[in-house]
Amino acid sequence: MSVQTPAYSLELKNVAKHFGRTLLFKKVNFHLHPGEIIAVTGWNGSGKSTLLRIIAGLIRPSAGKVNLLKSGVPAGSDGRRKFTGMVSPALALYDELSAVENLNFLARVRGADITEQEILDMISAVGLQGWEHALYGIYSSGMKQRLKMAQALLHKPPLLLLDEPFSNLDSKGISRFDSLISERRRAGMIIIASNEQREIEYGDRIVNLSE
Amino acid sequence: MLTYLNEAKAIWFRDLRSEFRTRYAINAILMFAFTTLVAVSFSLGSFRISDSDKPFLYAALLWIILVFSALSGLARSFVKEEEAHTIDILKLSARPEAIFLGKLLFNLTLLGILALLIVPLFILFMGYRIEHQLYFSMVVLSGVLGLGAGTTIVAAMIARASVRGALFSALSFPLLFPLMITAIKGCERAATGMDVAGWHEVKLSVAYLVIMVTLSLFLFPLVWEE
Repeated sequence: MSVQTPAYSLELKNVAKHFGRTLLFKKVNFHLHPGEIIAVTGWNGSGKSTLLRIIAGLIRPSAGKVNLLKSGVPAGSDGRRKFTGMVSPALALYDELSAVENLNFLARVRGADITEQEILDMISAVGLQGWEHALYGIYSSGMKQRLKMAQALLHKPPLLLLDEPFSNLDSKGISRFDSLISERRRAGMIIIASNEQREIEYGDRIVNLSE
Repeated sequence: MLTYLNEAKAIWFRDLRSEFRTRYAINAILMFAFTTLVAVSFSLGSFRISDSDKPFLYAALLWIILVFSALSGLARSFVKEEEAHTIDILKLSARPEAIFLGKLLFNLTLLGILALLIVPLFILFMGYRIEHQLYFSMVVLSGVLGLGAGTTIVAAMIARASVRGALFSALSFPLLFPLMITAIKGCERAATGMDVAGWHEVKLSVAYLVIMVTLSLFLFPLVWEE
């Protein structure tokens, strides 16, 4: 007897966002399936990061709907918490905790069953071995970016939201992230928001918010 | 339910660990409490207060010190998440009810430390005579629990405001006023040796706690999510 893993997909229907009278975008529609990457691009201020925040459930859209579907059924807000991983310049981890403590805390509040060894492996996967027990507050901006990627991947979410994922990374970091993105592409859905050509090139489809 | 409690416990322990390393809130609360206590004990020492006035006056002073010390530091539980930009990672990872319970447990821990240090010192410095010690302890305990519940939801509401300090006191005070009056009355009764068999003030404070926690669990997701 084979056990089928649930198939996830993401559906955006006529999503719009405005702040007061300022319209950022309207009628954003797409359907994202496992194994696909969508690149979201547009001018500065076009709402790329805001769209990712809406998809993550951090802010509400002014109009339209975002549905993360699990076997065709909406996963709900709690589902989005468990099934979404996000990397963004606006996200910060806890300065006064080490990398291990930060990841251990996030695994516990997400209710993910993750061992200490898996946390250490994830820290190594983003190239932070040797810095596991150093406080996040003393990390450089590139190291912080690596740990943000580690927390986003730790609970193996089917949906990965990457807002300018290569920012602050050195060439080794970009190479590691490239491998991690390629690996995750096989297992789930990815949305990348960026203006950088090398990041947009990951996209199977491009959503341009400036159009 | 168990998963909610496990998540709340994780948030509580994380806050304790962060507080142990930075000591932002506990320093603010204890500094305020100690300086106020010393100022009150020195300034009242020069006046002759009649024995009949002492139970009410001392009860009122004790609760003024406890409430305003709490107001000086408890807002930090949510404000620090906003200031350190960790609020988004918390929103992405934890359920609102678990966050509220975790923060409530953290604030209650701080208030417990405050009460354990300040109440005995207040009794010592002021020569506060208490006839019903058990009743007094229960009034302080239930009052502190209610104080924690009342301030935690207000702390969440003001975290994004620009004038947080003033707003925290302005919103908390009317919410805490009934609890303060009850706790002051309870401490006065415990000190004078009046009949405490009905445990009225303790029951009222526990009722306040239950109402505040229940309302907060309903309101907090609305406050928290945008």
